[in-house]
Amino acid sequence: MRTVKHVTCPVCGCLCDDLELTIKDEKVVKVKNGCALCKAKFLGYSKHRVLKPLVRKNGRFFEVSYEEAVSRAAEILTEANYPLLYGWSMTSCEAVSAGIELAEEIGGVIDTTSTLCHGPSTLGIQDVGISSATLGQVRHRADLIVYWGSNPLIAHPRHMERYTIFRKGRFQKEKRKLIVVDVRKTETAETADIFLQIKPNMDYEVLQALRALIRDQELDVDEVAGIPTERLEEIADTMVECRFGALFFGSGLTMTRGKNRNIDAVLSLVSDLNKLTKFIAMPMRGHFNVTGADMILTWQTGYPYAVDFSLGYPRYNPGETSAVDILLREESDAALVVASDPVASLPRKAAEHLAENPLIVVDPHMSATARMADVVLPSTFVGIESGGTAYRMDHVPLPLKKIVEPPEGILSDEEILRIILSEVKRKKAEQMENP
Amino acid sequence: MMNLYPTKKFRFPITAECISPDVFQDKKIEEIRRLTVWEGNKQRILGELFKVKESESETKMVVINIHGDVSRVRRIGAYMTSGQIVIYGNAGMHLGEEMEGGEIIVRGNVGCWAGSMMKGGKIEIYGNAGNYLGAPYRGVNKGMRGGEIVVHGNVGNEAGAYMRRGVIKVYGNAGQFAGLRMQNGTIYVQKDCEARVGACMKDGKIIVSGFLESVLPTFTIEGLKEKVKIENDETAEGPFYLFLGDTAEDGKGKLYVSKTKNPHLNRYEKLL
Repeated sequence: MRTVKHVTCPVCGCLCDDLELTIKDEKVVKVKNGCALCKAKFLGYSKHRVLKPLVRKNGRFFEVSYEEAVSRAAEILTEANYPLLYGWSMTSCEAVSAGIELAEEIGGVIDTTSTLCHGPSTLGIQDVGISSATLGQVRHRADLIVYWGSNPLIAHPRHMERYTIFRKGRFQKEKRKLIVVDVRKTETAETADIFLQIKPNMDYEVLQALRALIRDQELDVDEVAGIPTERLEEIADTMVECRFGALFFGSGLTMTRGKNRNIDAVLSLVSDLNKLTKFIAMPMRGHFNVTGADMILTWQTGYPYAVDFSLGYPRYNPGETSAVDILLREESDAALVVASDPVASLPRKAAEHLAENPLIVVDPHMSATARMADVVLPSTFVGIESGGTAYRMDHVPLPLKKIVEPPEGILSDEEILRIILSEVKRKKAEQMENP
Repeated sequence: MMNLYPTKKFRFPITAECISPDVFQDKKIEEIRRLTVWEGNKQRILGELFKVKESESETKMVVINIHGDVSRVRRIGAYMTSGQIVIYGNAGMHLGEEMEGGEIIVRGNVGCWAGSMMKGGKIEIYGNAGNYLGAPYRGVNKGMRGGEIVVHGNVGNEAGAYMRRGVIKVYGNAGQFAGLRMQNGTIYVQKDCEARVGACMKDGKIIVSGFLESVLPTFTIEGLKEKVKIENDETAEGPFYLFLGDTAEDGKGKLYVSKTKNPHLNRYEKLL
């Protein structure tokens, strides 16, 4: 029995780095400091594993060697006219980096799960800019917290405990004020000082109204999205009067009517507030390294997600080069899915197109997507069986630890992608010699 | 006059900004067939994907006729400055992107970003247009800077976003956020329009002759007007409510909304 301290949690974008794990016979038996989601992952990850590479022949899976599976995967990717490389949010930055190299080599489109959650946030940030901070600054200084379209008590269970409402800061000893804006009374809303229950799909109107009120403009209407104008004036005053405000927004804002324009409005609101006080905004990123995937893509290609290498250089235009749209228009002819389960999360028509074409899956589990695949390459769990780097939602990079040994012979995502890449290069060189 | 016929039903996105009168000008038919296009990630020549035929023309202007479905062909007529393209079928994304002159006529539907960042010339679409009509590429804040887009069918979201000059006329319905962050120019929607029209507009004119789902709370009522000029001698018959906004951006844009088609806006009359 041994104990490992300061472990980073590979579950959500909070990336809590204070876990203490007890290991017995190369298995995690006890998790200290973790939330329910964290415990479920560390104590249950070893179930439903794939332990041998699989290749589908005549409709059935056959166990093969990594060599054979990689060769088949490289063949599919080299032949494809418009391959899609999707996932990347549940693996290490090092694996993402290898994936980008592979996408460039095969002239494919690489997109992350951002496309389904905070892609609109990125578009909003590119349009108006973002005033941001680290979670440490929020923890020590913020006296007003706003959660908009986000329910951290369920989705990011330790966010409030570590950084906001339930934590005292070095320069913020008194209780902070909490505003929650949502369409229903969530668990987080129960703890709020001010809860604004707005009509569904009307976030944009409320945000714009708040912006006008902050500019001392009068509104011609008596209510916005079911909220009386006087109440909105009170909220605007509360926001202006704070010393350091932090607004966190979730998929309740990014994926409802208006999408990136909601984010455009929320970031403009924060920008307006900064003329009067200090205010920051931050997207509540979901998967543990979705921020990292966006960061690495930005370093290496100049664009954060939905990057198309088909013309030999990176191009970016979500709506045109984003995974869901490509699949819905039935344009791709092969796909590589890494550390994600799109069949379970994409719209049905998109998932059908994904499954109809040659599909390669790199995943530790037999996920719904892996069941539809032509090639399954089993990998290690990043942050448990292999190390790497991940980015927290506030863009702070943190190390992921290798805590236990992986099952015998199982490679990491990065190793698998590197050998696919070298096999693709070898096959392309072969084709050049014998066209 | 050059005639292009697709040789097959395209499956992969085709990038063909070479289909432009400026590129075709002074080129022999053989040279046109050898122009580079992309089919997915494979480089091809135009002659592989299209049958190219030359026919007699009465004008000296370069005219390109495309016969068939080119809904997967992107960037047709991008950067063109003169001549004419007529498409007898549906056309793909980025049609006439950044065009400066000439004319594009589409006898079908068009994908997203048609006339994106257009500076001059005319695009006439007889079917429907997708999202971002005349609107800029991601992250760019300079939209349409001149020219005219006429759509006889419906348009998607964000038509005329970031518009700085020019005219967009939609004789069908429009999606949300028409005229988003526009700074000048005119948008006319003859039929119905979804919400958030003129969001964050600084200046310019939007006319909605049909039903408008809702007016943003950041617009203030200014008055009633019987008739509004669209362009030159074309006017829209009212009466119209005139709203000014968007006050969230201290904007002074004008939003005209039909009074008869929008009884739900009657409540604003008490403020007049």
